[in-house]
Amino acid sequence: MSRLALSLRINGETHEVLTAPHRTLLDVLRDDLGLTGTKENCLEAECGVCTVLLDGRAVNACILLAAQCAGREVVTIEGLARGAELHPLQRAFVEHGAVQCGYCIPGMLLAAKAYLDEDGAPTEDGIREALAGNLCRCTGYQKIADAVLAAAAALRGSRAGGGGCTHP
Amino acid sequence: MSFEYHEPAAVAEAVALGARFGEAGRFLAGGTDLIIQMRRGKVAPRHVLSLHRVPGLDRIEANGAITLGALVTHRAVERCADFQGPLGALVEGARVVGGHQIRNVATVGGNVVNASPAADVVPVLLTLDATVTCLGPDGERTLPLEGFLTGPGQTARRPGELLTAIRFERLPPASATAFLKAGRRRAMEISVVCVAARLTLDPARERCLAARITLGAVAPTTMRARAAERALEGRPLTDDVLREAGRLAAGECRPISDVRASARYRRLLVETLVPRALRRCRERIGGGA
Ligand SMILES: Cc1cc2nc3c(=O)[nH]c(=O)nc-3n(C[C@H](O)[C@H](O)[C@H](O)COP(=O)(O)OP(=O)(O)OC[C@H]3O[C@@H](n4cnc5c(N)ncnc54)[C@H](O)[C@@H]3O)c2cc1C
Ligand code: FES
Ligand code: FES
Repeated sequence: MSRLALSLRINGETHEVLTAPHRTLLDVLRDDLGLTGTKENCLEAECGVCTVLLDGRAVNACILLAAQCAGREVVTIEGLARGAELHPLQRAFVEHGAVQCGYCIPGMLLAAKAYLDEDGAPTEDGIREALAGNLCRCTGYQKIADAVLAAAAALRGSRAGGGGCTHP
Repeated sequence: MSFEYHEPAAVAEAVALGARFGEAGRFLAGGTDLIIQMRRGKVAPRHVLSLHRVPGLDRIEANGAITLGALVTHRAVERCADFQGPLGALVEGARVVGGHQIRNVATVGGNVVNASPAADVVPVLLTLDATVTCLGPDGERTLPLEGFLTGPGQTARRPGELLTAIRFERLPPASATAFLKAGRRRAMEISVVCVAARLTLDPARERCLAARITLGAVAPTTMRARAAERALEGRPLTDDVLREAGRLAAGECRPISDVRASARYRRLLVETLVPRALRRCRERIGGGA
């Protein structure tokens, strides 16, 4: 079978991988690069646990061929915090008790980040719509919605304060 | 899944590869239908032709007639300022396709070529009398969308032909559109029934000049409810007339029973949603009747 040599930009680093054409970004992240923060479940774009950012937009890594990502910017959950400093969304999730088993959370955080990057002053309805593609079997969603609202406020504060949030 | 992967960088190259591989090749846009069908073993192309590097097909041109490039995403439709007024049903249809992750990558062209009878944007395009343009080695041809859809998952596209654009005219004055979807939950759900409508009234806003009513998930293809349309044209749009259109549409659709709903329930939904969509159009136009 043919193999493709791909140059993938993930969390700001370049990775050279050799892979079969049918392998998804999710396969390569988890199995080749050991980036297991991106979860795997339905493999049919239904549950959202595999959500990553591709050129800044939330996408399901389970239905995206790795080959389609060559030369584009991928951000996974491993790239959200800046060193030891959590992203405001991560901090808000912890502070609001929005995490139970945690399985859905990497996808939730990245879907929420893409949404807040587009709309810095969201409503709760807007947040629920933005996270409709992310299933959570534990929390009942309310605390997740609360956390995203709080993070949006925190991000607006840091921007207004000239803090210059430069997260990827 | 096992296939050769290709990444054409121009329309001409995509068309040449399409022609070379014919039935053995598949174009890949957002992959939200294709990759899943491949993983389920429903289709097994030997060549996958990803379109993400082909420039120019992701544009919405809105000077005079409107042209949607085949690679325009549902998210782009949802956010297009030109579709806020009379063409609002495009936004209403696009914004219920899956969640953000789906809409960020899934394309209007994919929705059309996949030809699911339950597709949500297709019925809206049908109310706009849209045409589709396909490009093959023998050149370009433009067909009415209605004739393009020939069965569930079936279109008049020839093997290897690239869908390049979907076109429709702007609506005349005193026109409006509406789209309604019934699913088992509000988001991330295939339509049990969806309905799109377009009304154009006379300048006095008293009588209906033109009506389009299209129905999804109640026939082998997205369908026009022609008897219901005829019952509106030339008449003042009283509530009784709109309800009559609902009854006619329920009569002319051909639903089946499946895991999502019974045929009987689907007919009831059509009878309810058609007048509701028409009322919405009437309110959006304002005045008269
Ligand atoms: C979780 C989930 C939820 C969904 N919800 C909805 C929904 O609510 N409503 C709805 O209508 N759909 C829904 N869909 C289906 C799907 O997202 C849409 O039909 C979408 O528009 C398909 O576009 P795509 O770009 O992903 O197509 P792809 O999967 O890339 O392609 C679909 C088909 O079209 C062909 N094709 C694509 N582009 C071209 C072209 N330019 N020329 C020739 N052939 C082409 C491909 O070869 C393939 O056969 C959902 C899918 C998923 C996974
Ligand atoms: S594993 Fe990708 S959406 Fe469920
Ligand atoms: S916290 Fe357990 S699935 Fe969401």
